[in-house]
Amino acid sequence: MQQRVKTGIKGLDEMLHGGFLPQTANLIEGATGTGKTTLGMQFIYNGITQYDEPGLIITFEEFPQQYYRDAAAFGWDFKKLEQEGKLKIIMTSPEVTKLDLERVGGMIETLVAEMGARRILVDSLSHFERLSSDPVELRAIEYSFINALKREGLTSVLTRENPALLGGTESDSENIAFVVDSYILMRYVEIESAIHKALLVLKLRGSDHAKDIRQYEITSQGIQVQAKFEGQEGIMSGSPRRMAESFVEAFVKK
Amino acid sequence: MALQSDDFTAKLMDDMDSRLLDFIKNKVNSFIKWDLVRFFYENPNTTDSVENIAKYAGRNTAAVQSELEELVESGVMEMQLVEGLPVYSLASDEEMRQLIEKFILACEDRHFRVKAVYHIIRGMR
Repeated sequence: MQQRVKTGIKGLDEMLHGGFLPQTANLIEGATGTGKTTLGMQFIYNGITQYDEPGLIITFEEFPQQYYRDAAAFGWDFKKLEQEGKLKIIMTSPEVTKLDLERVGGMIETLVAEMGARRILVDSLSHFERLSSDPVELRAIEYSFINALKREGLTSVLTRENPALLGGTESDSENIAFVVDSYILMRYVEIESAIHKALLVLKLRGSDHAKDIRQYEITSQGIQVQAKFEGQEGIMSGSPRRMAESFVEAFVKK
Repeated sequence: MALQSDDFTAKLMDDMDSRLLDFIKNKVNSFIKWDLVRFFYENPNTTDSVENIAKYAGRNTAAVQSELEELVESGVMEMQLVEGLPVYSLASDEEMRQLIEKFILACEDRHFRVKAVYHIIRGMR
């Protein structure tokens, strides 16, 4: 059986048929507020506390003190984990990170060696777009960055902003989707005048995975992936329609 | 009889920890440095170029550059060249980190802050 890097997130590991594959780059894409960073923090926190795998968080925008606060709201004491040498939250920029990973004995390489880090959250990959306006060059930069993380033995979660709150995706993720090993989409969905959250594993290179679209909630313990949407179609369009009763009879209500 | 200004200063200095007083007079001797030290204390693993640090601090690059260089000279911060790009981070020296923590915690006391502000303004004259 393939070795897996469990996220420890209820429902997600099941969708991933056990978890991410080791030393892979895993993209989490969604609109603002969908919980990308929470999912990433949970991946890091569970890695340290449940699987004894130290982790790094690289942030390109939010200040580390924001992570300490947000994590504390879920009962995750990131400051304590830092004091114990199991976590480091590094605020830097894509340009410095890129240069750091390209050299021998850089900061990330040193931290990985010193801490024995196995997981990394990069929040967010969208900031790499400022390094080049040429999509071909950008893809090369992102490809090199991802390979450097793999070289260090890290399993990474990379977040990416999608500007579309509802409806069709406005993302130009096609390029990065080819480069990463798994691709998870987090979306807002409107059902009967209420906003729900939906999660879909679009891709998991080298493994089968759940193809259904699941609801999830951000609870006081973090993200919990729940049951799939029943009796709806067009979920990822943001405005699903109720499926014909006969269709539901035939294919859903078994 | 009214205190001479130097006497008043001496009085202010008297009840301040000598290490903190030295820290304020010789290391964090400007408001920009104070802001930077607070920022790096709250975000201790920040490592970045002067341009980005200036953005984080909400200041212009020219103003931050010289202050960062002085913080490096005084041992509060460290600078390393990453492929030729100067990158700044908080000093890794444990003693310095403890001194920074002592300063930040002391700043929670209003009286201490007033004294620190006084010393900085006096030093800027």
